[in-house]
Amino acid sequence: MAETGGWQRVAALSDLREGEAFVAKLGDAAIALYRLNDGVYAIGDVCTHEFALLSQGFVEDGAIECPLHQAKFDIKSGRCLAAPATEDVKSYTVKVEGNDVFVRT
Amino acid sequence: MFLRNYWYVAATDEEIGRKPFPRMILGEPVVMFRTEDGTPVAFEDRCAHRHLPLSMGKLVGDRLQCHYHGLQFDMTGRCVRIPGQDQIPPTAKVKAYPVVERYHWIWIWMGDPALADPDKITDFHWLDDENWGAKASYLHVKSNWQLVVDNLLDLTHLAFVHETTIGNAALAEHAVVKVTRAPNNVVVTRWIIDQDPPPTFKKVGGFTGTVDRWQIIDFVPPAFLRLDVGATPTGTGAPEGKRVGGINMRNLNAITPETETTSHYFWGQAHDFDVKNKDLTQKIFEQIQMAFFEDVEVFSAQQRNLDLNPNPPQLDINADTGVIQARRIIDRLRGEEQAALQMTAAE
Repeated sequence: MAETGGWQRVAALSDLREGEAFVAKLGDAAIALYRLNDGVYAIGDVCTHEFALLSQGFVEDGAIECPLHQAKFDIKSGRCLAAPATEDVKSYTVKVEGNDVFVRT
Repeated sequence: MFLRNYWYVAATDEEIGRKPFPRMILGEPVVMFRTEDGTPVAFEDRCAHRHLPLSMGKLVGDRLQCHYHGLQFDMTGRCVRIPGQDQIPPTAKVKAYPVVERYHWIWIWMGDPALADPDKITDFHWLDDENWGAKASYLHVKSNWQLVVDNLLDLTHLAFVHETTIGNAALAEHAVVKVTRAPNNVVVTRWIIDQDPPPTFKKVGGFTGTVDRWQIIDFVPPAFLRLDVGATPTGTGAPEGKRVGGINMRNLNAITPETETTSHYFWGQAHDFDVKNKDLTQKIFEQIQMAFFEDVEVFSAQQRNLDLNPNPPQLDINADTGVIQARRIIDRLRGEEQAALQMTAAE
């Protein structure tokens, strides 16, 4: 696990595809990376409603829809956009250097 | 509540002949038979006169004669003979359903006949294609049809219900699953890479080492599930689209509601290797059939609990993604069909 002063390398940029989640571990936390048209974003991968993995859901209009109960979260901010979830998921700072994607720990 | 404006499978081609054949479909009694030239026909199984099932009667040429008072109906459902009465009123007719024979199945349209376009029949050509070996069958299920749809959209159950045939732990614990959806379609793709093959695959495919196994489930409403399933020796390129040295099959399912709590389960298994080998087709069929018998036990046990409490709280887990997306499509279509019916009623 390569750590670079508060940043953890979590993926190769070439592994990320628009419209698809890329699952990673940040320490013990399950996170998912998303490539949107203006950059790469990382948010917590566990739905705050009933613990479904959001990465198995559906990316639409910059949001991820939970695979089970249609809760939605903004990929850029982690903000909860639709019930039945009410709490946001955590958002992580991402930087891309060459083909390496880092997330701030 | 049933979806009506769809083609459903009513019978296998072998079930229908010159003896009237009764079957309840979407809560309606239906009788089917073939005319002298082999054309399949389906009526409501109820005489227009005193409600006796017409399936108790017999065929006289191409006419179905009621067992009770001998009224005869032609293949359009119109009464053409009333014994002892010359004048036949225009109301003397039984409902005739649009019917099409395709893929060794008899398809029926239970909705508005004006909408019955045979081009809308879901493709099951694998059951009737010289490039595939195939065998199909029928099971009666003592549960609501949607429990069968659910079952086929979440194949993690193979690891537990079917561990002697087509399942093993690998498929629940070591799989990569992707669900995609469209307005009237759900596809669940599951890859199980570099794992031991399940017992049936060893028997049929002769694998000695680990395999890369795929299950690609294609759901089309109301209740059609076409599964692209198989395995190849690990590392030979199946995930990249190169399927060599393994087995490639289709598991084909068409579920037709009988009542709200019972269903007709038409299914078949097709394979694209050694396709003329009838013994192989039979052997594969029997393996899958063993698994399906196990499923049927599960469905009826679920339904018994649901009968006691139809709307209990239930837990959803990650593996339910495909199931939930399909149920959402069915709910939406149901709403659309009901809205259309209410509009028609209001006019």
